[in-house]
Amino acid sequence: MRGISYGSRLGGHRKRWTRFILPGYTVLLLLFLIAPILMMILYGFNDIPGIAERQSAKFFGFTLDWYRRLFEDPLLTGAVRNSIFIAITAATLSTPLGTLLGLALGRYGFRGRGGVSFIIFMAIAVPEIVLGSSLLAMYVQVGAPLGLATILLAHIGFDTPFVAVTVRARVSGMDRSMEDAAKDLFASPLVAFLRVTLPIIAPGIMAGFMLSFVLSLDDFVITNFVSGNTTTFPLYVYATQKMGIPPTVNVFGTVLFLAGVSIALFGLFRGLLKGKSAAA
Amino acid sequence: MSEDHEQLEADAIRTAMKSRLTRRGFLRTAGVGVAGGIALPSLLAACGGGGTSGKKVWDPAEIFSGQPGKTLNFANWPLYIDKARDKNGKVYYPSLTKFTDATGIAVNYTIPITDNPDFFAKIQPMLMPGKPTGYDIIVMSNGWEFWCLVQKEWVYPLDTSKRPTFDQNAADWAKDPQFDPGAQHSMAYQWGLTSICVNHDLISAPITKLDDLMDTEKLPSASVGMLKDDMPDFVMRNLGIDTVNSTPADWKEAAAWLMKQRESGVVRGYYSQGYTDEVTAGNLAVSMAWSGDIIYYAIWEGMSNLEMLMLDGGCVRWVDNMMIPAHAANPVGALELMDWYYRPDIATGLQEWVMYMSPVPATQDGFLADAKAAEAKGWKGYASKLYASAKSEYIFPSPEFLDQQVSWMRQLKTDDEKAEWDSIFEPVSR
Amino acid sequence: MATTTVPRTQADLPPIRHSAWGITARRRLAAYGLITPGVAWLMLFFLIPVLIMAMTSLKSGGVLEGYRFTWAWSNFPTAWAGKGHYFVRSLMYAFLTAAGTMTLAYPATYWIAFYGGRWKSTLLFLLLLPYFVSFMIRTVMWKFILADIGPVLGPLKDWHMLPSGFRILATPFAVVGGLIYNYLPYSALPLYVALERIDPAMIEAAKDLFANRTQAFLRVVLPLSLPGLFAATLLTFVPATGDYVEAEVLGSQNTYMIGNLIQDEFLKRGRYPIASALSIVLMLGMVVLTSIYARFLGTEDEVVAAAVTA
Repeated sequence: MRGISYGSRLGGHRKRWTRFILPGYTVLLLLFLIAPILMMILYGFNDIPGIAERQSAKFFGFTLDWYRRLFEDPLLTGAVRNSIFIAITAATLSTPLGTLLGLALGRYGFRGRGGVSFIIFMAIAVPEIVLGSSLLAMYVQVGAPLGLATILLAHIGFDTPFVAVTVRARVSGMDRSMEDAAKDLFASPLVAFLRVTLPIIAPGIMAGFMLSFVLSLDDFVITNFVSGNTTTFPLYVYATQKMGIPPTVNVFGTVLFLAGVSIALFGLFRGLLKGKSAAA
Repeated sequence: MSEDHEQLEADAIRTAMKSRLTRRGFLRTAGVGVAGGIALPSLLAACGGGGTSGKKVWDPAEIFSGQPGKTLNFANWPLYIDKARDKNGKVYYPSLTKFTDATGIAVNYTIPITDNPDFFAKIQPMLMPGKPTGYDIIVMSNGWEFWCLVQKEWVYPLDTSKRPTFDQNAADWAKDPQFDPGAQHSMAYQWGLTSICVNHDLISAPITKLDDLMDTEKLPSASVGMLKDDMPDFVMRNLGIDTVNSTPADWKEAAAWLMKQRESGVVRGYYSQGYTDEVTAGNLAVSMAWSGDIIYYAIWEGMSNLEMLMLDGGCVRWVDNMMIPAHAANPVGALELMDWYYRPDIATGLQEWVMYMSPVPATQDGFLADAKAAEAKGWKGYASKLYASAKSEYIFPSPEFLDQQVSWMRQLKTDDEKAEWDSIFEPVSR
Repeated sequence: MATTTVPRTQADLPPIRHSAWGITARRRLAAYGLITPGVAWLMLFFLIPVLIMAMTSLKSGGVLEGYRFTWAWSNFPTAWAGKGHYFVRSLMYAFLTAAGTMTLAYPATYWIAFYGGRWKSTLLFLLLLPYFVSFMIRTVMWKFILADIGPVLGPLKDWHMLPSGFRILATPFAVVGGLIYNYLPYSALPLYVALERIDPAMIEAAKDLFANRTQAFLRVVLPLSLPGLFAATLLTFVPATGDYVEAEVLGSQNTYMIGNLIQDEFLKRGRYPIASALSIVLMLGMVVLTSIYARFLGTEDEVVAAAVTA
C-alpha cells in the first residue's frame, strides 16, 4: 500500500508551481549534501605548484599526479590499511554478538530486558567522547598497550549495540506466523530458526554488518582516544589538517567513497533483482 | 605488582560474568558489577593506584652495550628533516639514507609530533606502565614535558662515552645545556627563536613594541596569530620580566596582558602548528613565529613581504632535543643516529633544508662552502640564498645577540607549579 | 541442515509448556544464552570503563607524583570552575544542530516518504550518499569550501558582493553549520522511518473530514511522526553536545566546546583525574536531560525510538 504514489491524490487542485516546492527543495538539499564530496573528488586532481604538496583551497588545474603517486607515503598507506582492517574485523566480530543480542531483545521477554535495552540505548545515545575517554581511562588503569588491539576492542564495543538495534527492529517487525507455520510442519526450533527466521532477518543482519563496517571505517572520536601510536585514515586526516593535508588524501577518500557506493549499489541492485524492496 | 591487580580485576570480571548466567540474573549481576566497581578501587588503591611504575635506575653502560638492531623508529616534527627527490621523483631523506648506507640500519621516519603536550600525553599511557612507546628516538623541546621524561626516568640516560662525533663537533652550550646538565639524557637536534613575523603587505605602521600587538589602529581585526605554548614566556620577556626566575605574580601579569589582547579583537587564533599556512595565505598580518619557518619563506620561497623581526623587548629561545624513550627496541642504533647528526656535512645538509639553528657551529662554514660550490656551478640564485642564510641573525645568531635579546623559558618543576601555570594561562586560549 | 522424520501423530511432537509470559522455559534459558556474550561485552566496554573513569575522577596527583585514589571529590569543582560556559555553549550549539537538522530534513523526508513512490529507496540512498565518506574528511572539505579566499567566498569577494574581511571560518556559524551538515542523517533517517510508517489513508480520512492540507499536516502527520522527531532529537542533540571536531577544524578559540575541553585534558594535558571529572559530569548531564525528555514524550517511545533508528 505504501508503494503507491499518492502524487495527485493528495494534491487536490494546486497551482502548478507549488507542486515543485518540495521536490525542488529536496534536490537542492541533495546537492548541498553532496557538495563537499564533489569537492573532495575534484581536488584529487588539483595540480598544486611548488614542493609543499599540501592541498590548497585554490584549484590550479588537472593532473593525475596524485593518483600515480598514491602509495608513496607509507604512513598514509598504512593508515588506510589499518582503517580497512579494523572495519572488517570489528564488523565481523560485532555482527554475531549484536545479532544474538538483537534476537534475544526482540523476541523474548526476560527479567532485565529493560535494563539491557537501556544500556544499549545509552551506548548509542551517550556522546562518543564519553565512550572514548572512559575506554582510555580503563586502558590506562590496567596498563594495556594502546594499539590495534585496543582499537579493535573499542570498535566491537560500540558496533555491537548498533547491530543489536538493527536486528531487533527487523525481528520485532517479523511475522511470527511463518515460524509457527514451520512448527506446525513439525520443524524443531533450531531448524525453524535456521531455515525460516534467519533468512527473514538476514537483511537486518546484513544491514547491521554494513552499518558496523561504515561506523568503524569512519570512526574518529573513539579511535582518537584509544589508538596510541597507531594511525587510521580519519586520524591521519585530523593530524595533518592543521598543517595541510596531502592531496593523496583526497584520492584515498575518493577511492573509498566509490568502493562503498559500489558495494551499496550492488546490494540494492541485487535486492531489486530479487523482487524484494531494498532494506533501508 | 601490576600483575597482581590485573589478576584481581580479571577475577572480578569473571565472577561478574558467571553470575549473569543464573535465572535471577540480570539485575543481580548488575549489582555485582557495581560492587565490583567499588571494590576494585580499594584493591587498586592498596596496590598504589596502578598509575605509576616504580622508579627504576637505568644503567647506560648496560643499555648501550651490544650490537644495534636492524631498524630504528624515529619520531619527529613535520618539515623538520632534509628532503630530496631521487631520479624517479620519489621523496627520500638524504641524512637518513646516508646513515643507512653507512651503518646498515634502516630508519622508519614518522612525523607524529605536532606539539609537546600533545605528543607527551600520547606516550604517557605507555610509559606509565613501563611499556615501549614504539619509538626509538623522539624529539622534544626543553620544557615541562622534557623535565617529566627525565624525572620519571621515562627516557634512557645516554652512554656519554659512545658519542664521539658529538664530543668533537657540538657547541659548548649543547654539551652542557642548562635544562639537561652534561647532556645526559638528550642531544640537541635543532634550536631556534620564537619571535614576531610581519607581512609588510598587510601592516600600515611598523611593529616595534609589545603593545603594538594589540593596537587596533595598527592592525586589522583578527589578523594576529599567537603561539599557545610560547606566548606566556614571550610576553613576560617583553614586559621586562626575568622569565627563568618568574613567579606566579609575574605569570598573572602576563596573563592579564594576554587577556587584554584577546579582548581587543585582533587575535585570529592561538596556534601550535598551522600558523604558517595562515601567514602565507595572507590571513595573518602579524604573528608569533618560529624563526626557521619564516626565514625559509622569506629567503627560499622569495616571499620578501614576510620578515622576521625582534620587538624592543626581545624574544625567547628553545631547543628541540633527540631523546630515547624507555623500553626502546634499538637504543644502540638510536644513539648512533643521534651522533650521526653531529657530522658537519650531515648537520649542514639538515640545516640547509630546515633553516633553523644548529648545535654544530661548523655548519656556518658548511653553508659558505656550499654557496661557493653552487656559484662555481653557475647556480647564482641558489648561491645567493645560501649566502643570505649564512649571514642571517636568525640562523647564525651572534653570542651578543643572544645575550642581549634572547631569554630561556621558565622551567616548571613540580605538578603544583604546572597546575598553577595552566590555571593562569589556559583561560586565555580557550 | 538436518532433516527430521515427519511425525505421524500429535503425540510424537515434543510437549510444549507455557508460562505466564507465553513462552517456554527453555526459550527463556535460550534468551539468557543468546544475550550473554553481547551483554558481557557491553559490560566490559561500556559499564566497566565508565566505572573506572568515575574512579579515576576521584584520584589526585599529577604526572610527576603519580596518581593515587583519594576520594578527591574536590576534583569536580576544580575541574568545572569557570568552565560552565563551555557546557552552556555546547548545549546551545547542540540545540541549534538538532533544530537545524530536523528543519532541513523534514521537508525532504516528507516528500520522499509520501511522494517518492518507487524512487523512495533511491532518493534515500542519494540522501545518505555523502555520508559514505569519513566525517573527518567531510569536515576538512568544508574548511576548504568556506576558506576566506576559497571557491565560494573568493569569487563573491572578487565581485565585491562581500567585504574583503568577511569570514565564515573561525566563527560559530561555521561550527554550527558543520554540525548540522554532519548530523543530518541522524535526523533524516528516524524522520523518514516514522513518516514512512504513516498510512496515507489517515490523510485521506482527514481530507474526508474536510481538513485542508495544512490542517491535515499539523493534526495528522506531525503528531504521528512524533516518535521520529523524538529519536531525531536524541540522536543529534546528545552526540553534538560532546562533539569537538567541527569546533577544532572550523572554529576558533571563541567556539571552544566542552568536548574540546575534555579532549584537551585527556589527550593534550594528560590530566586524567580532572578530565575524568569533566567527562563523568557530561555523561550524567546527558543522561538526566535525556530522561527528562523521555518522560516528557513518554518512556515507551524511548525504546521504540532506539529500535526505529535502523
